[in-house]
Amino acid sequence: MEAYIFNLVNLIAIYAILAVTLNFIMGYAGIYSLAHAVFFGIGAYTGSWVAQNVSPSIFVTLPAAMAASAVVSLLLALPALRVRGEYFVAASLGLQVLAVTIFSEWKGFTGGIGGVLAIPAVRIMGVEVYQPSQFSILSVAMLILVLLAINALVHSSFGRNLRAIRDSESAAASFGKNVPMIKTISVVISAALAAVAGVLYASYLSFINVETFTLDNSVLIMAMVIIGGTGTIAGPVVGAAVLLLLPSLISYFAFLPQTEIGALQQIIYGLGMTLLMIFRPGGIVGRRAGK
Amino acid sequence: MLAIQLAITGLQTGALYALTAVGFSLIFGSTRIFHFAHGATFVVAAYLFYAVFNAGWGVAPGILAAAIGAVVFGLALDRLVYVPIQRHEGSFFTVFVASFGVGIAVQNIIGMVFGRGFVTVNTSLSRSVEMFDNIYVSPLAWIAILCAVVFLGGLQFVLLKTHVGMSLRALSDNPELVRTFGLDPRRIEAMAFAIGSLLVVPAAIITSATTGLNPSVGHHVMLISLAATIVGGIGSIPGTVLAGVLLGLAESMALLVVDSQWTEAVTFAILFAFIIIRPSGLLGRTIAH
Repeated sequence: MEAYIFNLVNLIAIYAILAVTLNFIMGYAGIYSLAHAVFFGIGAYTGSWVAQNVSPSIFVTLPAAMAASAVVSLLLALPALRVRGEYFVAASLGLQVLAVTIFSEWKGFTGGIGGVLAIPAVRIMGVEVYQPSQFSILSVAMLILVLLAINALVHSSFGRNLRAIRDSESAAASFGKNVPMIKTISVVISAALAAVAGVLYASYLSFINVETFTLDNSVLIMAMVIIGGTGTIAGPVVGAAVLLLLPSLISYFAFLPQTEIGALQQIIYGLGMTLLMIFRPGGIVGRRAGK
Repeated sequence: MLAIQLAITGLQTGALYALTAVGFSLIFGSTRIFHFAHGATFVVAAYLFYAVFNAGWGVAPGILAAAIGAVVFGLALDRLVYVPIQRHEGSFFTVFVASFGVGIAVQNIIGMVFGRGFVTVNTSLSRSVEMFDNIYVSPLAWIAILCAVVFLGGLQFVLLKTHVGMSLRALSDNPELVRTFGLDPRRIEAMAFAIGSLLVVPAAIITSATTGLNPSVGHHVMLISLAATIVGGIGSIPGTVLAGVLLGLAESMALLVVDSQWTEAVTFAILFAFIIIRPSGLLGRTIAH
């Protein structure tokens, strides 16, 4: 039971990092990306490759994964600079589909469909962290670090610039803000921090495959942000917790057919997304309606 | 020879893509509703046809069931999901997430009822016949192309020559003006959903007899519809048709150069390139930023 709870804590912390970093570009720069799982994946694959071939020390895996993710995120910055709204969603979707194909075909790096096995546990100054209870300290600490970093950014002049761009790109530009540069930097920061979640996930589970980095997961992360509350600090964390607790809540209802639990979870999760959007579009934490 | 064979297959795929994409494009173009559950409409129609046909009731009742199912599903979604969201002025993303949720639910409900594996409707029409030297074409390929011509021609006629079509175009041009002329935008919106949903039916039925169905096929349908809509140019029905056909051809012809695992990537690389280089699409108006 304890291991089960710590396991949930770890997954919630990892997904909360993803939701918080996605919210950074969604809520503050108005960049609604459906490719966040790509950067989760790049972080996970790079982290496990480095852990297996160089060193499992977190001081090696993390910077490597963040750098790889940051470089690839420039591809996402490209459409973010050109188009907005549904066009950008479509572009990020294109990137997501492309990435999944590359993840499943680049067998030397990603293990193809089979995935990467036997990823070493993360090492912090010589100590291996793998038990769910120990790992939860690490994952929650990382979540807090990411939250602090994002919070500091949002409240800095950089954050004010971001909000100005979200509200009116042309106005920000006319005030002499370098809009393309600010947008690019925010995309890069978001992707690099998402890679942190990837490294944690890979070393925690010691196995990854492409299933975790598909469009479905990108939508799940986006749903966490929207359901929790876009543009709020606590929203994405709450959203991650709610969506990840939902399946375990459902499995408590013993009268449901056991073989269909997975499908029922998906149905409830799908309809839950729909109903929330109809009745509480600002999310659980957010107060603003719609927009 | 291989190139010709692939071109014919591509044309068949392209015809089906054009048919599925045009429904989405019509709804999005006229109502600005990002109807991501369009793929779910496809799956509902396809499985209704499959169920009725497999119960031994024949093709015509199957087509009827699929058509009624698709239209009712589309109208119900508009009424129960999109209208309430618009009432509190939900953003395009609110609509998208709600619509995606419906897609996930439908996919899993169908999976519980019909199973998650592939099912195919067996007809003598699906068998390929040698047309000339080593070129094989199934009668269904011709039916697909014929359906695309008839239905898309019919749509173009409706849009250009009838009252319904004119109000649809008016809605896409200026929703405020529609209201001042005493037309009810909600009714025109419902019309867009009815017509758009009906248009996936031929593609859904033909797919059930060619490549077969599984509950997640709606996902692919949706992605293709979105790609064709944007590559063609949002708001341009002829553009969407052209893009659908070209994407089908590109997917098929790509097999000359790459393995089949890459076909979907080819489609989305084209989409990505278009958004960066020419976001207004093939025949679209320049986009308002």
